[in-house]
Amino acid sequence: MPDFILTFLKTALHVLIFPGLLFVAIGGLLLAGIDRKVLARMQRRIGPPIVQPFFDFFKLMGKETIIPNAARPAIYKAAPLIGTASLAIMMLFFPLFGHQAAWGSTADLIVILYLMTIPAVAIIVGGSASGSPFAGIGISREMVTMMAYELPLVLVFLAAAKKVGGTSLVFSLDSITAWQQANGCLLFHWAMIPAALALLLVIPAEVGTQPFDVAEAETEICEGPLIEYSGAPLAMYKLNTAMKMFVMTALFTVLFLGGINLGGGVLGWVLGGLLLFAICAVLTILCMTLIHAVTARLKVEHLFKFYWTVVAGLALVSLVLVWFGL
Amino acid sequence: MSYIHYPVISVMGLFLGAFLVEIFGSKNKKVRFGITLVFVTLATVLTYLLIKPVFFDQEIISYWMGGWKPEAGYAIGIGYEIDGLSLFFGLLIVTTFFLSTIYSWRYMEKDHHLGHYYTLFLMLCGAVLGLVFTGDIFNLFIMIEIMTFAAVALTAFRNNREGALEAGFKYLVIGSLGSSFTLAGVAILYLSCHTLNMAQLAALLSEKGLDGLTGFAFALMIAGMGVKSFIVPFHTPAADAYTTAPTSISMVFSGMVNKAGVYGMIRLVYVVFRAMGLSSVQLLLVLFGTVTMFVGVTMALAQHDFKRLLAFHSISQIGYVLTSIGLGTYFGLFGGLFHAMNHTLFKGLLFLTAGAVLYATGTTDLDRLGGLAKRMPRTTAYFLVGAAAISGIPPFNGFASKWMIYQATYEKAVSTGNIAFAFVTVIALLVSVMTLASFIKVTQAVFFGQCPLALTQTKEVPFSMRLPMAILSLLCLAGGIGYNYVMSYVLSPAVHSVSNAVGYVDAMMGSGYATAHKVTMLQSEPAALSVWNPVMWLLLFVVVLTAVTLVALTSEKRRGPVTTGQEQIPDGKYATFFGGEKSEHSHVAGSDLFWGFKKDWKGYFRVAGNLHSGNVNDYAVWTVAATALITLFVMIFIV
Amino acid sequence: MFQKLIAKSMMKSPWLYHINTGSCNGCDIELVACLTPRYDVERYGFKLAGTPRHADIVVVSGPITTQSRDRLVRTLEQVPEPRCVVTIGSCPQSGNVFKGSYSIEGPLEKYCHVDVAIAGCTPKPEAIIEGLYKAAQILQKKREAMK
Repeated sequence: MPDFILTFLKTALHVLIFPGLLFVAIGGLLLAGIDRKVLARMQRRIGPPIVQPFFDFFKLMGKETIIPNAARPAIYKAAPLIGTASLAIMMLFFPLFGHQAAWGSTADLIVILYLMTIPAVAIIVGGSASGSPFAGIGISREMVTMMAYELPLVLVFLAAAKKVGGTSLVFSLDSITAWQQANGCLLFHWAMIPAALALLLVIPAEVGTQPFDVAEAETEICEGPLIEYSGAPLAMYKLNTAMKMFVMTALFTVLFLGGINLGGGVLGWVLGGLLLFAICAVLTILCMTLIHAVTARLKVEHLFKFYWTVVAGLALVSLVLVWFGL
Repeated sequence: MSYIHYPVISVMGLFLGAFLVEIFGSKNKKVRFGITLVFVTLATVLTYLLIKPVFFDQEIISYWMGGWKPEAGYAIGIGYEIDGLSLFFGLLIVTTFFLSTIYSWRYMEKDHHLGHYYTLFLMLCGAVLGLVFTGDIFNLFIMIEIMTFAAVALTAFRNNREGALEAGFKYLVIGSLGSSFTLAGVAILYLSCHTLNMAQLAALLSEKGLDGLTGFAFALMIAGMGVKSFIVPFHTPAADAYTTAPTSISMVFSGMVNKAGVYGMIRLVYVVFRAMGLSSVQLLLVLFGTVTMFVGVTMALAQHDFKRLLAFHSISQIGYVLTSIGLGTYFGLFGGLFHAMNHTLFKGLLFLTAGAVLYATGTTDLDRLGGLAKRMPRTTAYFLVGAAAISGIPPFNGFASKWMIYQATYEKAVSTGNIAFAFVTVIALLVSVMTLASFIKVTQAVFFGQCPLALTQTKEVPFSMRLPMAILSLLCLAGGIGYNYVMSYVLSPAVHSVSNAVGYVDAMMGSGYATAHKVTMLQSEPAALSVWNPVMWLLLFVVVLTAVTLVALTSEKRRGPVTTGQEQIPDGKYATFFGGEKSEHSHVAGSDLFWGFKKDWKGYFRVAGNLHSGNVNDYAVWTVAATALITLFVMIFIV
Repeated sequence: MFQKLIAKSMMKSPWLYHINTGSCNGCDIELVACLTPRYDVERYGFKLAGTPRHADIVVVSGPITTQSRDRLVRTLEQVPEPRCVVTIGSCPQSGNVFKGSYSIEGPLEKYCHVDVAIAGCTPKPEAIIEGLYKAAQILQKKREAMK
């Protein structure tokens, strides 16, 4: 068999199965299930089964898709799919415990940063295309949320890049992982701990869980951008939220815990996948479920202020510390 | 005919066309458009033909008007000199005015006195093209003057519209100040070096170094070019001018006129004064650039007029370009020039969509528009492309250039150890998000949401207006995907010629002149760009998208719903959900979409709003004060 | 296999949309009581949705006043298929103590097919849970009938 067919098959395998679409989708839905179950246990409820998000997804797939008269059908239907696609390929750019990323050479932190905005933009554009005034308010809040968490996120990335690169420009995730393999995980360098905390606080806003779910506040603006969605597109949005959980926690793992090495070969891949999922589950419980269980929803201006003062301040502390060689 | 005549023919042709339109075209609209199209096409074709000698063969074209070659080491005649940088901007300019001409045909059909419009239009085009092709600094000033006055007249062209005359007046006052600064700078240079040829100036200044006199000239020229490129303390006429000018002219302003200012800035700072090695000059430009991009985008967020919002974005994007160029690294030059090019493409596209909206509905007020996506689907698609490009969403061109700018600024930060440059990176990224936010606002307010009753009869714009938009959309996509090709075939020659001052001087003054006057090459460093493969990325995206779509489609087979209702109810199923109320027109308009953000920043917006008082006296004071500050800075840190 | 999975999921994840058509708030509170840790209907996958577009089961309480009738009808139309309508309490079935009032337009059966009716004034949470569970089973049947 010619080489390029083999390469193509390998690529397709990466993109669609592992660590691409299927892995992220299943992992994300499981994480969402764990989140709901643990939340229920914290509230002394029994809670839904862990596979509940799968049921939700398949149920929504089987529902009728209503496209309201005010909506613009093409964009309305395409928006969630674009979000899913960009989330699925983000995982391909993450190195996995000593393995090079499947597509690592084609991306760096800035590309990741921009790819992360695409799912949010997909929600915004889709919601906007639905023509509902509730969605109009929802997209406004989603956008303000995005502006809020972008600043700390950028600062965290720059701090990590400076710590790893020193006096040269290093934005590549592969190099960051390689550095951690040699010098230990970034999380255990004390100057980076505030940045790690900041990233942990960014994750719930990026995913949109309580108390940062101002955009999709179901009790006040009827799920905001998703108000008119039903059936399969809604299922894709729910899937996107779940995938975001996985991808964001995986990003934390890569940035701050990339020093763990599980050896090469197929066994390494499998172990790496399992370990990644385990770490992500812990992180999900830590930064999403815990905060969700003990807080109420913020107002959007409070959210903005919180991210630009507290969280950005934490990240800034790290950047300054790292800058002066600590 | 040899290609060395092409530049002068294109420029002179445009001016000739201006006279012909005025003489023959005042009555018949086909005649005047025909004349315009002929000369514009001529200039476009001739400029594109220069790609081979200048870009591929690395030749620097020098052309002496009337054969007045330098005598005894002094350049007396007016010379045209086209190196990679000139041609790079020349290509942007011809592309812009060619598309703008096509667009004007239908867009301007409802206006009167179109003979004057095309005359002024051709003069503007000729002036800007002459500005980038000329090798003579006084000629540069003349072109700036023609450009400014043509631009002022075009700004006030629709003088039956509210604010047009006011905008024209503001532009006139501030623009004249800028031209005066330039003229004063030229005069001082002539006093000091006894020549007006830029190549010879570069050589002589390089030999002498900057003293108090030439330093003053330097400061004045920077301020003058700043006024022409609308960087922040000088940006005040831009918002009004872009808003009230016909949209085909707004596109020309953002695609050509402020690019001319950027070109002048690069030419002066890098080649004529060769001051880019000084870290204080870098600091000055980066500071101006950063302030410009930040103020531009925050002011844009507060606007509620489509074109005015775009105008402030133009200012903001020029800030990106200036920041990146001001870094003084190869990396920065690549990013800055690439972004200048992309800005011409996507901002031109966005202005054209705004013009299409104005043409179809008669307004650009964000609070009175809405739901046009169903009425103008193609314009909406073009707008979305432009919005994605300017917000830097992959895979469009804005992403590629912004990505280079972030890398360049951060590389500067880590290599110099100066944390201030790291904050420039942070601000650049934030500005990008805010850009996205304000375009979300436009998307929601104009194209999506609900259509006001007054606009239900809106029709899509005609083909001749859609064609330029389609071309620009394609270029936006091509620039992002084929960015490696753009890098090696378009940007590399331009960047090379910026650093190649020796070649620039020798081409004009005869070889050996540069070395005799101790002109040196800018220190070259390998461009260590990290590799991003957009084609692979796009392929990947398509594969995943297809897979996801397939999965999504498998369950979406049409099934007949089971009717269970006992009483036949009217079909409200597809109406928008209003909590059970009857669906009515209720549109979330754009003017205050981000109130949560604005509330937290109310102090800033109050101050910025007060500063933009709309009073031309204040703005003139800003301009003069900023010039004084630049002069002071130059005197303290550079001389 | 895919279709079977969807049909099964229909029963496992019904989302509720609650409409109060002039209820005295008693039934509404009992419905909310079902979500509390004591009863926790979420263990069956029940969840309150914010908009009728997301709903599978529409829960109606109250005797359907003149004011609320049009709103009710409009909202019911906007629920995507397959869907179930469940009434809580006696009011939507019979009008209860409000029967004969000039401002009552009930019962609900005049406007749509009611799949499950939970009687009582107010019904106990256990009864509500059983009714909702039955509605979920009906949902699955409706989905299978759609093939």
